[in-house]
Amino acid sequence: MLYNYLKIAYRSLLKYKFISFINISGLAIGFTCCLLIVGYILNEVSYDRSNPRAKDIYRVSRKFHSDKGVISLQLASVAPPFGPLLVNDYPDIQKMTRVLGIGTPAMKYGDKNFNERQVYAADENFFDFFNVKVIKGDSKTALNEPGTLMLSEEVAEKYFGNQDPVNQVIRLYNQYNLKVTGVYKAFPVNSHFHPRVLVSFNTLKNPDIYGEEQLRTNWGNNSFMTYVMLPENYPAESLEKKFPAFLDKYMAGQYGGGKPSLFTTINLQKLTDIHLLSHMDDEAEPNGDIKRVYIFSAIALFILLIACINYMNLATARSVLRAREIGIRKVTGATKAELITQFLTESVLITLIALTIAFGLTTICFPLMNKLSGLELTFSSLLSWNILIPILTIPVLVGLLSGLYPAFFMSSFQPIKTLKGFLKVGSGNVSFRQVLVVLQFSISIILIISTAIVFQQLHFMQQTNLGYERQHIVTIDYNNAITENYESFRQQLLQHPGIEAAGRSSRVPTGRLLDSQGSGMIKGDSGAPSNTDLKYVMADDQFIPAYKIKMVAGRNFSKDFGTDTSAYILNETAAKNLGYQNPADLVGKTMSYGGDAGPVIGIMGDFHFESMHQKIVPLVLFTDRSTGNAYGDISIRISGKNIPAAITHLENTHKKFLPEVPFQYSFLDERFQRLYESELKQGSIFAVFSGIAIFIACLGLFGLSAFAITQRMKEIGVRKVLGASVNSIVQLLSKDFLKLVAVAAVIAFPVAWFAMYSWLQDFAYRVTIAWWIFLLAGIVAAVIAIVTISTQAIKAALSNPVKSLRSE
Amino acid sequence: MIKITALEKYYRTEEVETVALNKLTFEVKEGEFVAVMGPSGCGKSTLLNIVGLLDDPDGGSFLFNGIEVAKFNERKRADLRKRNIGFVFQSFNLIDELTVYENVELPLIYLGVKSAERKQRVEEVLDKMQIMHRRNHYPQQLSGGQQQRVAVARAVVNKPKLILADEPTGNLDSSNGNEVMTLLTDLNEQGTTIIMVTHSEHDSRYSHRIIRMLDGQAVTENIMV
Repeated sequence: MLYNYLKIAYRSLLKYKFISFINISGLAIGFTCCLLIVGYILNEVSYDRSNPRAKDIYRVSRKFHSDKGVISLQLASVAPPFGPLLVNDYPDIQKMTRVLGIGTPAMKYGDKNFNERQVYAADENFFDFFNVKVIKGDSKTALNEPGTLMLSEEVAEKYFGNQDPVNQVIRLYNQYNLKVTGVYKAFPVNSHFHPRVLVSFNTLKNPDIYGEEQLRTNWGNNSFMTYVMLPENYPAESLEKKFPAFLDKYMAGQYGGGKPSLFTTINLQKLTDIHLLSHMDDEAEPNGDIKRVYIFSAIALFILLIACINYMNLATARSVLRAREIGIRKVTGATKAELITQFLTESVLITLIALTIAFGLTTICFPLMNKLSGLELTFSSLLSWNILIPILTIPVLVGLLSGLYPAFFMSSFQPIKTLKGFLKVGSGNVSFRQVLVVLQFSISIILIISTAIVFQQLHFMQQTNLGYERQHIVTIDYNNAITENYESFRQQLLQHPGIEAAGRSSRVPTGRLLDSQGSGMIKGDSGAPSNTDLKYVMADDQFIPAYKIKMVAGRNFSKDFGTDTSAYILNETAAKNLGYQNPADLVGKTMSYGGDAGPVIGIMGDFHFESMHQKIVPLVLFTDRSTGNAYGDISIRISGKNIPAAITHLENTHKKFLPEVPFQYSFLDERFQRLYESELKQGSIFAVFSGIAIFIACLGLFGLSAFAITQRMKEIGVRKVLGASVNSIVQLLSKDFLKLVAVAAVIAFPVAWFAMYSWLQDFAYRVTIAWWIFLLAGIVAAVIAIVTISTQAIKAALSNPVKSLRSE
Repeated sequence: MIKITALEKYYRTEEVETVALNKLTFEVKEGEFVAVMGPSGCGKSTLLNIVGLLDDPDGGSFLFNGIEVAKFNERKRADLRKRNIGFVFQSFNLIDELTVYENVELPLIYLGVKSAERKQRVEEVLDKMQIMHRRNHYPQQLSGGQQQRVAVARAVVNKPKLILADEPTGNLDSSNGNEVMTLLTDLNEQGTTIIMVTHSEHDSRYSHRIIRMLDGQAVTENIMV
């Protein structure tokens, strides 16, 4: 019986080649998209699971808030004393490890001298938490001794080539000699951070570097990522409940007289949740986002749905052609159940063929998708049984589901009528098909609108006036060794006509604003603390000119005023938050910040220091009052006329003043692009998949209209004989489908509006959803439909009526 | 074999109700060859539908071999149908995607006959209909007469007690038509009951009895001698 079904399925596939092609290709493309998206989702949810005990590992995070609970800062890292004290107070914590990012130090071995990225100090039990293969040295002891470090395979090769790196000495910051004690395999891509160099944590105990005392008592330096391991299935929440008491016990005095637990909270984040769920202000690396996973899952489902609807539509349409076969089977003894089984077998067969093609396409498309997404997805990620079984079951389910309606529809034909050729496509099934077409078009319109708004927002973020000029700014790391000679370094830079300004600052725009201290306004002798959470950046007098930031009142720092070392410059938002609607009124007032009083000498216009995701926050600038060592970067404005010459001059000057420090620079513009890199990638992937979804919908519409028109050939013939023009016939045939597009638009508009409204909430600065995008999407959908249908309609309208009438 | 009493069938659309069978009563005995005649729309096809257990009546009684089948459900009807009834149509109604052999084999598949036995029975009947040499051809490759012989072969392969023929010669020229009528007569002589709907007075002469229908009722019966 099954053999008979398969035989007839195969032969009818060949007989109706056009419809079969549309069916199978639509499904195959749909499945391919789904497989690609499944690959992406699998990658996203696979982060940080390499340790068998990953689910028992937690990262300690810290929140800063007012006593009213208003959060000002959320950090993925905490102060150094937390880790050891937590282990000490809570015996349930089995292990603790701390990791400290130490910037981009210059690392030197022989003549090889580079600024290394992703350098971390790590506790000796680091490898108990992060399952990375150590290929040289002992993972248990390699990080024990102070003054030692481990290298990732790639870094080891860069410095040592084929030579054995173990026991070799690398010079760090041109200050410290560190011995290599091991080499480890690169961290897997699906890890929330990727240390390339690990310095032993004990190295930090050297008082010249950080100091044991600091490690024990510095509650202010919240840069230490601290991980704890709890017993299996341990309820972490119960431990978190005890933390307020812990904070009050150890941090008393840190908040004046207030209870520390009113102003700060520590929490435990599951290691496996970090990549998708953690959005702290200082993540080690940019994380993914669960929303993105949801969005892409929705797209995958949409595409699958559209492909299934194609199948249903075309199968029911085709059923009319097979009505006779069904009638014959009935009179020769087939029951309804047997007929349903036959058609389901066929649809499952078709989906399996489509799946086979999809597997092939997927292997080809993974590299393309990687190029688009910047990920490293591989087909092999799909090749495990717990993935393959659902993947192989879904097409069967899809086949069954999408075959069900055609099967029931076809098996209920009246046999004698079908055999006598009386069967007409009844109005009942047409309306169901219409519902399906409307659904397809609704999805397409939703996708068109979403894509348009996503790109509008991306464009907005990149083109909005930032409040400073981001072009032609080069940044280099500030090295403390230059502090004493900085002024002559700067003067020498400016000698080149291509270099316009150079300013130092503790942070540069496109980064985050995370540093803040207590502030207040001083009237007479008394100070009134403000509730404003005021972030600070230490900047010299050249920072504002280098970035071409507008001053709205007062003046910039100036070397002509000796007192400017204690002066403050605020942004407009800060002035407003401090209660000055007219910023100029604030100039000349005395303010205290971090305990130091000084005059407000100027108000600068608001500018987007951070990305568009963040609101512009109150900001204060002041110069580094003591050593000048607190600056992190030098921002150099170049004229843009001869960039290479300016860079060469910059490099030469740098070499002259800092011969031991490798010269590395970056363009602010590139960093700016990187802020929106993931959104841009997401946007292009979104656009590609939307395009594919719409294409599949068109494929179905094409098949369906071809069929509908064939059914109406006689009518067309009669109309032409009676004098209808080609134009009027095309209109007649297109009208029905256009009505469906209109209905689809009505359904799609509110859904798309709601979806995009929610998506935009993630951006502090966002576009308003414009009505014309909806109108445009509707028109685009209508045009796509008209183009799809009219190719068929014109062909039909041009055909010779005698032919169609004679065949009746 | 078939006893129909006061059988009723209506077709309803939203506005109109059409009476297809209006308290129709007649009987067919085992081994009879009955022709049903009448103008278009008189209810012949509806009758064939109900007698062929493809449709259920709206009222009245239908005894098939003494069993009341008027209220049978779809599954029971299908079961009774595939064991007892064969159909022959005017337009042959062979499945285009199946070969001659496969078309004839179809009823046996639905009956659940084992493959080896199927082969034997299909070959036997193809032999009898003299189309064995065409067994691997598709219907489109055959002449009308050959196609109708295949259709008859398919109708008789499961050895039905009753054959329902709906204008079996309507699409054939007279010599092929006569050939098919001879086949049916032979089958009848071997004991198969035949009910044939026809417009052709010529064909009706092959039958034992002619029932003439009008407006859903049997108006006259002619016994052929």
